[in-house]
Amino acid sequence: MRKNYSYLALGALVLASCVNDDTTLDMKGMFSNNGEPVNVRFAQSKAYNDSVGEIHLNMGADAYTIYMCTDSHITRKTHKNLDYFMAQYKAASSPKLALHLGDIIDAQKNIPCADSIVHYAGQTKKDTLFLTPGNHDVYFKQWPILRSFFKTSAYWFDTNNGTKKLDLFICLDSADGTLGTEQMKWLKDLLAAKSKEGYRRIIVFTHTHLWKLDDSQGHTSNYALEEMYEITSLLSQYGVECVWSGHQHARQSVIYKGVHYLVLDATKDSEKGQSYVTVDMGETINYHYFNYPPVE
Amino acid sequence: MKKNLLLLVLTLCPLWLMAAGNPGFGERGYRLTTMVEYSYNPVWSHHANLDVQALIPINPHFEMEGKVQLSTADVYTGAVQIRPKFEVPVGEIFLEADMMYRCVSRNETSDMTAALAIGYRMDYISVTIGSFSRILDDWNRDWHTDESYVVEPFNLMYRLEVFCRPQTNPWNLSFLFSNVDDYQMERMWQPLFGVRAYYDVVDHWQLNFGAQCKPTGMFHLDASFYGATLRAGFTYKF
Repeated sequence: MRKNYSYLALGALVLASCVNDDTTLDMKGMFSNNGEPVNVRFAQSKAYNDSVGEIHLNMGADAYTIYMCTDSHITRKTHKNLDYFMAQYKAASSPKLALHLGDIIDAQKNIPCADSIVHYAGQTKKDTLFLTPGNHDVYFKQWPILRSFFKTSAYWFDTNNGTKKLDLFICLDSADGTLGTEQMKWLKDLLAAKSKEGYRRIIVFTHTHLWKLDDSQGHTSNYALEEMYEITSLLSQYGVECVWSGHQHARQSVIYKGVHYLVLDATKDSEKGQSYVTVDMGETINYHYFNYPPVE
Repeated sequence: MKKNLLLLVLTLCPLWLMAAGNPGFGERGYRLTTMVEYSYNPVWSHHANLDVQALIPINPHFEMEGKVQLSTADVYTGAVQIRPKFEVPVGEIFLEADMMYRCVSRNETSDMTAALAIGYRMDYISVTIGSFSRILDDWNRDWHTDESYVVEPFNLMYRLEVFCRPQTNPWNLSFLFSNVDDYQMERMWQPLFGVRAYYDVVDHWQLNFGAQCKPTGMFHLDASFYGATLRAGFTYKF
C-alpha cells in the first residue's frame, strides 16, 4: 500500500510540474503525435506553396536589414516583448524583412492573441514577416489554427535588388524534432537546384537547433543523431551560409562544416536578459543584439 | 534540490524492497557475442548491421567489454567499456567507463563520446546513471578558418532495465528505457525503448533477441516514430 502511495506522489509531482497558467499540458504528446505529423503538415504546406506561386522580394538595394526574434511564447495575458519587436520592425527604415523562428505562443489557443503578427505573415504575401512553427505552435492539435493564419510551415523565398538575385531563404518545419522523410527530400532537391542559381548566400531558418552545447536548453530536445549528421552534411554540401534557429532560449554560435549555426535568445516576457537580433545583409553579414526593455 | 532527493528516495525504496531475499549474481566468464540487425530510420532508410561483442572478465571485481558494429548505412562504430563491480548485501554496484567512436562515413563525420556512470543491479532490475561528453568533427575541417569541432560537454546518461526472471536464470525477457545503447549515445531528451530476450540453449551457447524503438520529439510533446531495430544472434560462453 505504501508503495502505491509512493508511485501516486511521484506521478502527482510530475503532472503538477506540467501545468501552467494558460492550460494543462496533454501528456499524450510524449508518446504519440498530438495532431498532424510533420509529413502531413509538409504535404499541406507544399500544396499551398504550389497554389500561390513563388515569393520574390524586391529590396531595391543590395543591402537590407533583417529583424529576427524567436520563442515569444505569448500567453493570453502578456506579449509585450513581441509587440515591442514588431514596433521596432515597423518603425525601421526600409529595406527590411523580419523572421520569427517559432514558438510564437506558449500553449493552446493563443495564436489569435498574437494580433501584432498573425495578419502580417510574409508567406501569405501580406507582409514581409516570415514565420516558422515551433513545437509550442503545433502540439495539442493546433496546426489547423496556425495554418488558418500562416498557411504553410515549409517554404522558400528569395530577395533581389530589382535586377539580380540576392539571397535565398529556406524555412523548415522542425516542430516535431524531425524534418520527416518528405521535407528532407524536398530540401535536398531544392538545395541541389537552387545552389546552381548564383545566389549571394543561402540561409536556412527553422525552430529546432542542432547542438546541445550546454544546459541552457533545459528539457528542449534536438534532432535524432542520424538526422543531425545528415542535415549538417547536406547544408554544407550545397553551400548554405547560415542556419538560424531558436528553441533553447539562449544564444549560441557555432561554425561547423563551413556553416554558421546561430541560435537566438528568446522573446518571452517572463524571462530576463532576452534579446532580438538585427542582421545587416550586404556583402558581409553583421549581427546586432538588442535587449528588450524590462517587462513591468 | 529537496525535490530531487525526494524523487531519488521514492525511486530507490521500491527497488530495495523488490530485491529483498534474492540471491547474488554468479561470476561471468569470457563471452563472445555476434548479432545481426535489421534497422530503419528515415535518414538511413532500411539497413543491416553486424555486431560483435567480447566480454573479458579480468578478475571478480573488474571486467572489460569491446564492441564493434558494421552497418550497410556506411556507419561504423567501436566501443570499449570497463566496469569495476562490487557485490553488496543485495545486488551489485558497478561503475562504467565508456569510450565510443562512431565513424559516420556517409556524412564524413566523426562522433566521439566518453561516458562515466554508476549502476546498481538486482535480480529483476538494473539501473545506470551517469554523464557523457561528445565531440563531433568534420573529416574535412579547414584548420585555417573559424570552423571548429563541436563539443557537447555534458549529457545525462540513463538506463533502466526490468527483467521478467532473475538475471541468473537460463532464459529471460527484459524491457529497457535508456538514452544509450551499445552503439549510440543519444541526447538525454531522446530516449530509446527496447525489449531483449535470451535463452541458454546448451552449456556454452546462448540465443539472443532484441528490438528497439526510437521515437522523436517526445519532449516537444509531439512524439512520432523515428526508427526501429530488430536483432538476433548468439553468445558463446567460454
